[in-house]
Amino acid sequence: MAQKKRSSRWRVWHRWLSLIFGVQMVVWALSGAYMVFFDLDYIHGDHLVQDISQPLPEHTHIASLDELFATYPETRSVSLETRWLDNTLQTVYKLETAKGSLLVNAESLRLIELNEQHIKALANRYYAPEQANIESVVYMTDNPPTEISEKLLPVWQVNYDDFGNTSLYLSETTGDLLVKRHNFWRGFDIAWMLHIMDYEERVDIETWWLKGFIIGTFILMVTGIVLLVYAISFKRTPAGGSQ
Amino acid sequence: MRFMQWLHRWVSLILVVQVVLWLISGFFFALTGHQGMSGHQYMVPQKTFTELRKVAAKVDFEEIKQWFPNAHSVELVSVAGVGQYQVTLPDDVIYIDANTGDYWSTDEALATRLALLSYSGPGSVESVERVTGSNEVNGWTDPGFRINMADDLNTRIYVDMASAQVVEHRNTPWTIADWAFRLHFMDYSGGRSFNHLLIWSAGLLALWFSLSGLILLGRNLINGDFNPGRKKTWLEQFQQQGHPVASSCGGGGTCGLCKVTLKGDNLPEPNDSETALLNRDELNAGVRLSCQHKVSTAYSVELADKAVSDTRLTLVNKRQLTPSIVELTFTSPGNLTYHAGQFMQFRIPHLNEVLIRHYSMATRPDLNKLVFNVRQMTSPQEGVPPGVGSNYLCHLEVGANVDATGPFGDFQLTEQNNNTQVFIGGGAGIAPLRSLIQAEQAKQQPRHSVFFYGARNEDELCYRDEFEAYDGVAYTPVLSETTKADGWSGKTGFIHEAALAWLANENLNAVDVYVCGPPPMLKATLKALTDIGINRSRIRFDDFGI
Ligand code: FES
Repeated sequence: MAQKKRSSRWRVWHRWLSLIFGVQMVVWALSGAYMVFFDLDYIHGDHLVQDISQPLPEHTHIASLDELFATYPETRSVSLETRWLDNTLQTVYKLETAKGSLLVNAESLRLIELNEQHIKALANRYYAPEQANIESVVYMTDNPPTEISEKLLPVWQVNYDDFGNTSLYLSETTGDLLVKRHNFWRGFDIAWMLHIMDYEERVDIETWWLKGFIIGTFILMVTGIVLLVYAISFKRTPAGGSQ
Repeated sequence: MRFMQWLHRWVSLILVVQVVLWLISGFFFALTGHQGMSGHQYMVPQKTFTELRKVAAKVDFEEIKQWFPNAHSVELVSVAGVGQYQVTLPDDVIYIDANTGDYWSTDEALATRLALLSYSGPGSVESVERVTGSNEVNGWTDPGFRINMADDLNTRIYVDMASAQVVEHRNTPWTIADWAFRLHFMDYSGGRSFNHLLIWSAGLLALWFSLSGLILLGRNLINGDFNPGRKKTWLEQFQQQGHPVASSCGGGGTCGLCKVTLKGDNLPEPNDSETALLNRDELNAGVRLSCQHKVSTAYSVELADKAVSDTRLTLVNKRQLTPSIVELTFTSPGNLTYHAGQFMQFRIPHLNEVLIRHYSMATRPDLNKLVFNVRQMTSPQEGVPPGVGSNYLCHLEVGANVDATGPFGDFQLTEQNNNTQVFIGGGAGIAPLRSLIQAEQAKQQPRHSVFFYGARNEDELCYRDEFEAYDGVAYTPVLSETTKADGWSGKTGFIHEAALAWLANENLNAVDVYVCGPPPMLKATLKALTDIGINRSRIRFDDFGI
């Protein structure tokens, strides 16, 4: 029988600490559980898109490197690939230059400029689910939504009317699929924000309040452990006990 | 709510280790930051600034396209000034030297050069190794090089042979961070996955744990426990005033130790903790848990152990009772009144702390002296100290002082009845039993008493003469480590078996049983008593009197 004269102090401390840190612990547990229980590939939206690359068409006469460099001398890397444009599979060169990327027709070396129709058609090819219902297409040059990095601008946002409110982001110059977002990704992002306690940028894991809450939670746990040790080591078996 | 409490407590027990790991690794992340954990402190972004037209490339796209008709894409890049084609096939990527048309191959010199191009730190190359993948780079299993840099972070740079790509930079902070990730994600394979069974289970437990805590917190809020001007509970009030009320759960309503008796007309209804921990008779008699009720003037409160006080005892006599039991006699400055069977709580100084040990009085109430039996522990093995409490007490000199609080305990004689009083004990459990037997025998009309006492051998039968001398006590010593061959003519074996054999012929409704002894003996005896169907209310035991 423990005669802890001050045992109720620990309980009072445990309560007060839990009022501040315990609540954050619930937030950690909930956000942690969200991130743990949804498969990361699903969060990334891998199920929403498919690979649309095709073998290079055989009998196209593509421009030589010399011709290419004559027209685009600043090229730093070049990739020969295919693009569905206006319902035909075209062979294209994708160039990286000092000023960004370009898409050119591999035969004529003419610059390809993608319009909204091209982007819609490409997005629908990337989009994996059966029913592709585009809700809206937005061309954005500034003020990106929080779900994408500013570095991706300018970019096409193609929004689908589906279960997860999918948004595909396509490059304005190459038509490449850059990122995909859906509601479970957005939920993950919120869980992540709550988990690291950076409510603005959602990236800073070094804030002083995060460290403070971790230390506070630690103290809360120590008080809990003390109560636990009391409860276990001094538990008196009531069965048949002296009355 | 009791279920919530139970849940919260047991889940916390399972989870506590992982929560500590989460907190520590989380704290580490918060201290180090993304950059510090990436291994990329000295890594420069891999961008080529060379214009391709200045790069050696004799093979054109057309040829590559002919060679690999099923290629999905072909990319030309510059690798340290040499053109390289990266051919993406349906299920593979192939690297071709744009100058020769052969498969690209990276030699040690090139790998080192590329590594240095990607490196901005202060170190120089220390050594270069051939490797096949690395357990430091998740998912990379191809042949390549490991370039070890001599720098403060112990940087190593991995370069892939087939592609000449700098795969990763790794360093000591990265290794530490990697371990923090293992702990945080509970993925000890190094894959940094947080979608697996182990962490699902822990996550589920953590969820239950914190939510049950939240519910309990909500109850505290509703109860006004956070109101700074709130009324204290009786327990808090008593503890603050220095009345030693027993409690091990600190007011959680789960230990049932903080009993008090309420007197008055308007007693609060028992709550569910009380109905679970107190029996009907107690509740009817006004017994409540003092932690469950706020201080009130509507009724008066009586402490269960009214006579409890702090006292400084002085050792006046010490004698070796048996080879293993020492008898200590103390006096107390005030007159300490206690009931037979009760115990004192000793405060034993040990290093920088004070240890609490319980010892029962070994005689019937005596105003002038307090007698205790202390079992002398021998070291279980060389180098391990013997029992701290008993060792301290056994080495007290006559005249020395020790602080104690008490008396406590409800291991006491039953109210007057005509039942046979059956005492079963072993080892140092003798003390409270002797006290009870003495008290019973001192009564005007002592009830018939039976005493089964278990010891190892004949030498350990303490107070044997005293018990044999009582007319009203049938004393049966039972030895566990002695055989008839040793010249012992009494009983041998387990104490509870001897007691049971005797009880078999008794009216089980006309006995009061008292048990005290070492835990295994106590457990075995209680089980045996319950098995033969003796009513719980007829059994009293003390598990702290030793
Ligand atoms: S202090 Fe444990 S039940 Fe009251």
